[in-house]
Amino acid sequence: MKYACSLLALLALTAPARAADDITVGFAIAKSGWMEAYDTPAATAAKIRIEEINAAGGLLGQQIKVVEADTRTDRAEAAKAGLDVLDQGAQMMVVSCDYDFGAPAALVAEGEGMNSFFLCAEDVKAGLQGVGPNSFSSSVLAPVQGATMAEWAYAKRDARTAFVLEDTFIEYNKGICTGFDWMFPQLEGAEILGRDTFKNDDASIASQITRIKSLEKTPDVIMLCSVMPGAAAAVRQIRAAGIEALILNGSAVDGSYWLDAVPGLSGFALPVQGTIYGDDPRPEVEAFNAAYEARTGARPASQYAYPGYVLIDLWAKAVERAGTVDGAAVTAELEKMQAEPTAFGPRSFSAELHHQNTALMQIVEITGGKPARVDEWQISQPVPLDVLLGK
Amino acid sequence: MSLQLLFDALSLGGIYAIAALGIALIFGVMKLVNFAHGQFIACAVFALILPSTDAVAALGLGLLPTPLLILAILGFGAGLAVAAEALVFRPLRNASPVALMVGSFALGVALQNFLLVLYGGRPKAISLWAGLGAPVRIGPAEVPLLQLIVIAAVIAILLALGLMLKRSRLGLEMRAAAADFGMAQLLGVRANRVISGAFALSGALAAVVALVMVAQTGVADVRMGGQIMLIAFIATVVGGMGSLPGAVAAGLAIGAASALLQAGLPDAARPFRDAFLYALVIVVLLFRPQGLFAAADAKPRV
Repeated sequence: MKYACSLLALLALTAPARAADDITVGFAIAKSGWMEAYDTPAATAAKIRIEEINAAGGLLGQQIKVVEADTRTDRAEAAKAGLDVLDQGAQMMVVSCDYDFGAPAALVAEGEGMNSFFLCAEDVKAGLQGVGPNSFSSSVLAPVQGATMAEWAYAKRDARTAFVLEDTFIEYNKGICTGFDWMFPQLEGAEILGRDTFKNDDASIASQITRIKSLEKTPDVIMLCSVMPGAAAAVRQIRAAGIEALILNGSAVDGSYWLDAVPGLSGFALPVQGTIYGDDPRPEVEAFNAAYEARTGARPASQYAYPGYVLIDLWAKAVERAGTVDGAAVTAELEKMQAEPTAFGPRSFSAELHHQNTALMQIVEITGGKPARVDEWQISQPVPLDVLLGK
Repeated sequence: MSLQLLFDALSLGGIYAIAALGIALIFGVMKLVNFAHGQFIACAVFALILPSTDAVAALGLGLLPTPLLILAILGFGAGLAVAAEALVFRPLRNASPVALMVGSFALGVALQNFLLVLYGGRPKAISLWAGLGAPVRIGPAEVPLLQLIVIAAVIAILLALGLMLKRSRLGLEMRAAAADFGMAQLLGVRANRVISGAFALSGALAAVVALVMVAQTGVADVRMGGQIMLIAFIATVVGGMGSLPGAVAAGLAIGAASALLQAGLPDAARPFRDAFLYALVIVVLLFRPQGLFAAADAKPRV
């Protein structure tokens, strides 16, 4: 009995001390508001990787603890959420998917010299250029997605003429078109016949469709740089008008949830980091999809869960190599990563760029209303920094 | 080409006109700019599908046969607006117009968050009437069937509303209330009846916009309605606050101008289409600060 008591006392004493020895990762993400639908899957994926690391013995011999705060999809609240997780002892910060909503929290982390990772930002500003030296994103830059579709459609679908339709809603869309505009015209015999813009919430894109129809010849492909819900609305109106050209888009429209908007859609292709449809050639991807389903009861709704898994994977590797969670030391290790293998393909960082300027992407095509992987493609040369920065 | 453009302009303008009419009706009877009108539109769209935060939406009211479905959604829009009036605006009836306006903002935010809770933040696909986009050949132009339906519906709604306002007792009371609410009350017009009637009509018009948006885009999004609400509000200002024909004319004009700018602006300027559009609005207001069709009582009498 005496032993039991002292054992209990000992446990009581060591329990909090043990917690202080944990490594704490702070999630300053949207747990409410419209951004929640995008942040939660990636954050769930990040936690799956954290649990895997913990189960395998932890990081630097310590368990990783997760603390959270809600940004409520609000830029001002995002900064507060950053301070909140900081107060809870965060040593690395995971912030919202989108640059605009993640940056306020990431800046808080930067001010403390801590590492921050955007859950899935694909704008070059979400990192070194926009936040500071310790900020990263593990997703694939939007211009890479646009350039991938340009080169793939040219090589595999004999696309020689294109029409570019850009949604001016967010920077991501501009990035997709930037990549396409850089890659497509430099391919031999390829030409952009025309272009137009629309706004994501435009009630109708009839004028834009009239412009496509009045081209002298129908373009081989239409590069649509848009996100939901405007992208589905645009595709519906384009197909309804009888334009059957192959439509290309970025990763943002991945997932089959919107396909009811365009019944029986065919000839629509997009690049993804891994496929959610169970047909990815890499067994690790399907293993992750199964782990995600086991945890949440449903498979990922789009590829945007994956960058969450990858970011923890890369950060943990860098921490192991640096032997510390100190921001500058981990950044130095991250910047040494060249084609670092992950479950979703190799990733690289450098002192100039904390993003992927090239990546092996899976090509998903929708045929008869069913999405399926048809190919994979990696652009022949990385997107130059000047193009990424819009110079 | 020009005939094509005419149809593009008319159909977009028609949607804006119906939305502007919904706002002008309420402003006419109670001097309230209802900023929740956009959320009425969004709610009517979401009423088509079952509440769930799953990524894939299942149709709810949307499963009804088309004529019933249209009636059900119009009824839903009218009911929602009447309920909003009874619960939010009636207690505020004697408050200042500014308080009323802030109240409508608050109602809009509350409705939007209610939708977020019920349906989640991800846009939903609605598989309804995909065939309506099919092009119909009219002379040199290829016009989507939906555009023709929108234009016909706008004409029918305007005629019906015009008749109602001119011939029915409720219409007469509404016009009297719009001209001078206090005097109308003194002469025996029942305020609650007129105001509820205006809200019901306004809500039904929001539902019409919702149905057109769904047929056009095939998606439901909690933020939809915001852009239309803004343009509709501007149309009521340009048309002259409180003037119903003014709101319709200005809604049509703004839609038409938007379509013409999209077609006519050079490449580099096209992303700034709305800047040009609003510059035009400013020019109009510089010359006619009271709006194109100012109501007789818009200027304070000295």
